[in-house]
Amino acid sequence: MTENTVIDQPAIHQLVDHLFRHESGKLVAVLTRVFGSDNLDLAEDVVQDSLAEALTQWQYRGVPDNPSGWLFRVARNKSLNILDREKRQQRYSAEVRAGLLAGGSLESSLDLLFSEQEILDDQLRMLFTCCHPAISPDSQIALALKTLCGFSVAEIARSFLTTEENIRKRLTRAKRGIREAPVPFDVPAGAELDRRLDTVLSTLYLLFNEGYNATTGEDPIRYDLCGEAIRLAGLIERHPAIRDRSAVCALLALMAFNSSRFKARQDREGRLLTMAEQDRSLWDRVLIANGFDYLRRSAEAGPDSIYYWLAAISAHHALAPDYASTDWSGILGLYDGLLRMEDSPVVRLNRAVALSMVEGPQLALQELDRLQEDATLQTYPYFYSTRAEMYLRLQQFPAASACLEKAIACSTLEKEAERLRERLAFCREKIS
Amino acid sequence: MLLIHNTMDHTAKLSPEEMQGFLKDCMNYINRLVSEGKLKGAQPLVKEGKIISGSKGSWKDGPFNEAKEVIIGYYHILAKDIDEAIAIAKENPEFAYTATARIEVRPIRTIEKSTGFLYPSQK
Repeated sequence: MTENTVIDQPAIHQLVDHLFRHESGKLVAVLTRVFGSDNLDLAEDVVQDSLAEALTQWQYRGVPDNPSGWLFRVARNKSLNILDREKRQQRYSAEVRAGLLAGGSLESSLDLLFSEQEILDDQLRMLFTCCHPAISPDSQIALALKTLCGFSVAEIARSFLTTEENIRKRLTRAKRGIREAPVPFDVPAGAELDRRLDTVLSTLYLLFNEGYNATTGEDPIRYDLCGEAIRLAGLIERHPAIRDRSAVCALLALMAFNSSRFKARQDREGRLLTMAEQDRSLWDRVLIANGFDYLRRSAEAGPDSIYYWLAAISAHHALAPDYASTDWSGILGLYDGLLRMEDSPVVRLNRAVALSMVEGPQLALQELDRLQEDATLQTYPYFYSTRAEMYLRLQQFPAASACLEKAIACSTLEKEAERLRERLAFCREKIS
Repeated sequence: MLLIHNTMDHTAKLSPEEMQGFLKDCMNYINRLVSEGKLKGAQPLVKEGKIISGSKGSWKDGPFNEAKEVIIGYYHILAKDIDEAIAIAKENPEFAYTATARIEVRPIRTIEKSTGFLYPSQK
């Protein structure tokens, strides 16, 4: 019988936040390279098995000095066993096959794939594979979370407020898409790279917004989504294959500025606070500084993405000591820049808010009236609550009430509806 | 002796994040027992193994069934009585992370009171 000794506290600290989740992402990427993108399921199984093995051993004897290296060794050995045992099925990628045909051993072909730089490259390949246009945006995000971020089906379902069954379907569709297209496990080159990078970045932006617009505010996992979007964008930004970093830096700037407000965005009851209501001393200065750093780098490379304009707007908010002294005419100018790149009703709606701060609510209301017929805004509570705020500033309480009622009717989030009802009660008091 | 029963594949459904949480809790659990001087030893029992039955001439050795419950590990603890041992068993993180865990709490007889016979043990 062995004597257990106290496991060093440092050994527990080897377990940095999300170590298992992130190691899982790296391993799935590397093993997909080994088994080929059509054997993604097999790669995931081997990784799950390796993590389970780590769990069994480490819980009794502590975490080894290099947990990541340990996991990789175990995953590599398990892969070797499978490839050895199933030689006839040939469940390995064309690349491994080529290495074998060239006379290399299975072991040496595999070791090449397990080097540090290759692991980084493989994660980027995985990202481009997940975000292939052959897969729908919904499924792209689900697949990226599952493979690269080590989320379970249950965790993905919770973060999208949907059922596990639904997520399972999305994943099956995504994997079928990869097999049928077929999607190569690779980072495209040249002009193709620029096109595909657009899709990857918009998927990451979607992922970030999924987490950021979490209005339930009870489940911290939703801010995890923001963290993952930032981490994956960081992978792109650091990678030598990416020539034009302007858009990815702008996206990172935008995400940094928006993340800096996490602590200030909710009151004690978990309700979301508007920019005007937030306690700005809670804003994270380090993230804001990061945001400016990325924004500068993006500007140097050429400001030609929507993320640049969005980040610049967010930067103006970050600089203002309070809501009233915000540089609204600067922000209005940036919205005009954004409109030239993307003329959407939501952009026009947000621009109207800036306009109201520069030219007054009357002019902003005229702008908003022009958007009234738009289908996407008809069910968008923020459209009506924004109009209501304009009427409130003009002291037109009956009109404000009418807008608030509409906002409440299309609000799907209880906490949000609660806020709107309070606002409505305030209006009605003024009327009577 | 705490004998941990669970299915062989009890960790298969855990997400990486849950596995990490499980691991941290186990390490803290063991640390606490060791620092309180209550742990003599703890080890996992590996998947590979056989179940032997029969007798000379007709030995049978079957493999384990992954879905069936088996003993997956043990904790050899020092407790002043069965109640303390039960309390320690209940705090095992296994219960928090899997729904299929069962822990068997069994006192070890070290001495035969009537004869004073000491059972062989390492310490």
